[in-house]
Amino acid sequence: MSELFRAMVNVVSIVAIPLMLLVFLGWGIVKRVKVYEVFVEGAKDGFNVAIRIIPYLVAMLVAIGIFRASGAMDVFVLLLSPITNLIGMPAETLPMALMRPLSGSGSLGIMTELMSVHGPDSFIGVLASTMYGSTETTFYVLAVYFGAVNVKNTRHALPAGLVADVFGMLGAVLICRILFGI
Amino acid sequence: MLNYVWISLVVIGILVAAGTDFNADVKNRYRNDMIMEGVVSISKSPTTARATYEGTLVIDRSAFNALYGVQTSGEEIRLPVVIQSDLEIPRMTFSSTAEMPAIWKEFAKYASTKDKLTATVQSLVASEDGRTAKVRFVREPIRFVKFKAVTQAALDYAAIAVNIAIGLIGIMALWLGVMKVAEAAGLIRSLTRLLTPLTKRLFPDVPPDHPAVGAMIMNIAANMLGLSNAATPLGLKAMEELNKLNPKLGTATNAMCTFLVINTAGLVLLPATAIAVRAAAGSSNPGIIIGTSIFGASCATIAGLIAVKLLEKLKYYKKDLIIESGPEGGTKS
Repeated sequence: MSELFRAMVNVVSIVAIPLMLLVFLGWGIVKRVKVYEVFVEGAKDGFNVAIRIIPYLVAMLVAIGIFRASGAMDVFVLLLSPITNLIGMPAETLPMALMRPLSGSGSLGIMTELMSVHGPDSFIGVLASTMYGSTETTFYVLAVYFGAVNVKNTRHALPAGLVADVFGMLGAVLICRILFGI
Repeated sequence: MLNYVWISLVVIGILVAAGTDFNADVKNRYRNDMIMEGVVSISKSPTTARATYEGTLVIDRSAFNALYGVQTSGEEIRLPVVIQSDLEIPRMTFSSTAEMPAIWKEFAKYASTKDKLTATVQSLVASEDGRTAKVRFVREPIRFVKFKAVTQAALDYAAIAVNIAIGLIGIMALWLGVMKVAEAAGLIRSLTRLLTPLTKRLFPDVPPDHPAVGAMIMNIAANMLGLSNAATPLGLKAMEELNKLNPKLGTATNAMCTFLVINTAGLVLLPATAIAVRAAAGSSNPGIIIGTSIFGASCATIAGLIAVKLLEKLKYYKKDLIIESGPEGGTKS
């Protein structure tokens, strides 16, 4: 079942981009759009959008970089571990849950290390990889998406995003305990 | 909230770094100013042309482990060294090599010359045949490790941010061009109409046939398929379209926040990165996490949507949307 699903999604994600290009541009020709001219007109904006993001991304990544390099994560793990122990979340996976919203490369590193230490098919290994797939790098997405439109007051986006992260992690723990429980 | 979280990351980071460095110094955790002993087997003795010994320093592993309170295993520690003997106090230099114990490698990163540890030689007694020499040495003091790491991280990440942004230019241009063609052909509008019942509920402030809806749908679809190269440009395009509906530039609208939460929850049908790492780690069933990840991400998405819809009703967040009347109009943020 999961193998079939995996194969199907795999195929779709491989052909999706060529297909999208074909259909979108082909449909343009059918509708007598001057495809080349219109494409270039649209593409022109790419540079500006990317450059606009820079200050937002620098602010966000530098703060996250300082936090990571200082080892402050260990302090948070220490503070939060009594709570996570209560819900049956192994202490080893707590850094993973905390790092996931902050840094994509950081959480990838933690996941890889947990798997090499505990084995990919151990409970910790399965839980860590489920956590990795259960949410996105909230702070990065926030900086990039709002940076692109020069939005500085992000209002309730961050709290709601963090609620999503917390529930993503709790959901990962719950489903892994039910299916592969200890 | 972002203001407070942002400053907290910086302040907590620096305070923890200060605390860790202070603590390490007080307890001399890095064992500065301690005399160590070893035997150098000399491969090159000083000549008239140069005043350096070159050779391999051999340190007793158990003494090393006891000094640092670590558990490294193996025979004795062998490190290539260069001893400069024409100085008033002879100096020994270790380069960071594979044989160097992890703790020293860490020290080398924060040494006065990067990746080179130095030590002052207290005594050097050559054996009768001149092949070996007994040395007593004191390693250079290591201090402010976390402060140096924090400094390095700040500089590195500033550069990484620019690299990421520059790397976006190309794919950004590609997808913005494609989207412009699709828009002109009326394709986005048809796609939008298809999902109107859903998008009307999620984004009540956005007209159902607005180009923003089309871009958001495409972004979410690309995200679910794991096409991050296409998803980000499409998402940014969606944000630009949403911004055209924004009465108060510089402040996020309800629709923007809702869209952002869907993105940060990151529902993916095939968590390709996690599967690849599992396969590389030798898992017998790397794909076993597909179902669990979809479940986890669904929890995140649903909880996020509920939170975003509840929070937008709070007076605290509503008041940000009010456009202050005055000579400067609504562009102030």
